[in-house]
Amino acid sequence: MRPIRTLGRFGLFVGQFIKSSWGKRPPPGKSLEEAYRIGIKSLPILVIISAFIGTNLAIQGYAAFQPLGGQRLVGMFVALAGVRELAPVIAAAMIAAKAGTEMASQIAVMRIRAQIDALEVMAVDPVWYLVTPRFLGILLVLPALTILSIFSTLVAAYCVAVFQLGLNSFEFIEYVRTSITGMDFVYCMIKGWVFGLVICSVSCYCGFNAKSGPEGVGQATNAAVVTVAVSCVMLNYLMSEIFYG
Amino acid sequence: MRDAIAEIGRVTLFAQHVFIAALRGRVSLSATYGYFGTVFLRCVLPVMATVFPFGMVMALQGLEIFAMFGTERLLASLISVAVLRELSPVLACVLVAAQGGSSFAAELGAMRIKEELDATEVMAVDAIACHAAPRVLALLIACPLLNVLGSVAGLSGGFVTAVFFKGEQAGIFLAELWSFTQPFDVWAGYIKCTIFGAIIGTISCYLGFYTKGGAAGVGRAVNDTVVYSVLVFITANYALSSAMFGQM
Repeated sequence: MRPIRTLGRFGLFVGQFIKSSWGKRPPPGKSLEEAYRIGIKSLPILVIISAFIGTNLAIQGYAAFQPLGGQRLVGMFVALAGVRELAPVIAAAMIAAKAGTEMASQIAVMRIRAQIDALEVMAVDPVWYLVTPRFLGILLVLPALTILSIFSTLVAAYCVAVFQLGLNSFEFIEYVRTSITGMDFVYCMIKGWVFGLVICSVSCYCGFNAKSGPEGVGQATNAAVVTVAVSCVMLNYLMSEIFYG
Repeated sequence: MRDAIAEIGRVTLFAQHVFIAALRGRVSLSATYGYFGTVFLRCVLPVMATVFPFGMVMALQGLEIFAMFGTERLLASLISVAVLRELSPVLACVLVAAQGGSSFAAELGAMRIKEELDATEVMAVDAIACHAAPRVLALLIACPLLNVLGSVAGLSGGFVTAVFFKGEQAGIFLAELWSFTQPFDVWAGYIKCTIFGAIIGTISCYLGFYTKGGAAGVGRAVNDTVVYSVLVFITANYALSSAMFGQM
């Protein structure tokens, strides 16, 4: 019973967001600030984590294909598994962990300090004022972050494949180049946008509905990151089925 | 830079305190068991709900590679190797960090803000051994078990896509499932997850235990928990994978 009620409340929240920001100018100057905060602050962690995903893909691809004598296929394995699936999902999970939790905890702190009520008293729509800039900011930076994450996955996989496992560098690049096309990048950017929508709406919803007290902030943040991670992975399967199935 | 090194030193001292207390038997077993139950129940659904779709995606993309060479029958062995060695440990532990680790950080942070931890210390009770250590041990025990459930979910995800959606033969899938997998792969996942669990537990409890700055500080502790614990265990994962599977 409770999950259904929560889902309904979430739907109402999204409806309210659309109603209160449709056709209105966003609060001036705030969207780029949010884009900076989401994009630049998440960048180092995103690059490091994607790089380590790449290294492990190369190692496991090598271990999996070696019994068949197909070590050359490591490039193809990294390209298909890393570029198409893991890089966008890991990028979304890390943005959710870094920027999404920040959104949730900032809004939750505002909620428990009655700052959101103060906005309403001043006749400023809090959903418009708080959610719209974050929404625009995340839509602006997520595709770029996804592409950067793909790039660092590939670079790290190349380094491991060539320097640690001793594969042929030309062969690796050739297999990567032939197995991904321009469309893969477009699909990854679409995935990035959809994940951005999910991250922003879920995190802001959790922040707005935080319960009072320090535990409330903690619980809201916690709920945001788990819900985002699980729903992004599920949506990823649906989108892969549509794009590649 | 200096701050970062000092912070690493503090985390190490905290971990030392926790594990020495555990080895000397100063940690309450019933508390550990209670937290283990909480974290296991909180994480079991998210872990399975994440690894299952990833198994499905692996089957989807793997079929594409193998169809090029006409070796679709090898799909199951690739999925079982990838899920058991890499995907399930990493994804399960990301979710444990996001759900279990961050909820422990939030609990300890709220206790710090409400001065409950100070009250414990005033009563001459070792607050780390009393509040933090059982949570660290609970995560350390829960991670490998959740990984087992995650592996099962991932393999069944691959089975569902390959057999029901793509029309592969169920018999071939099941027959090839274990052809490249050795018992060591299962153990490797188990060892990895125990180490990851210790990392997640130490970092989350450290950040929660030393929360500063009111309700906003609790939010920041939860935020940092997920980011730093994932960062550290993914780095450790590379070292562990290199050591266990790198050059054979």
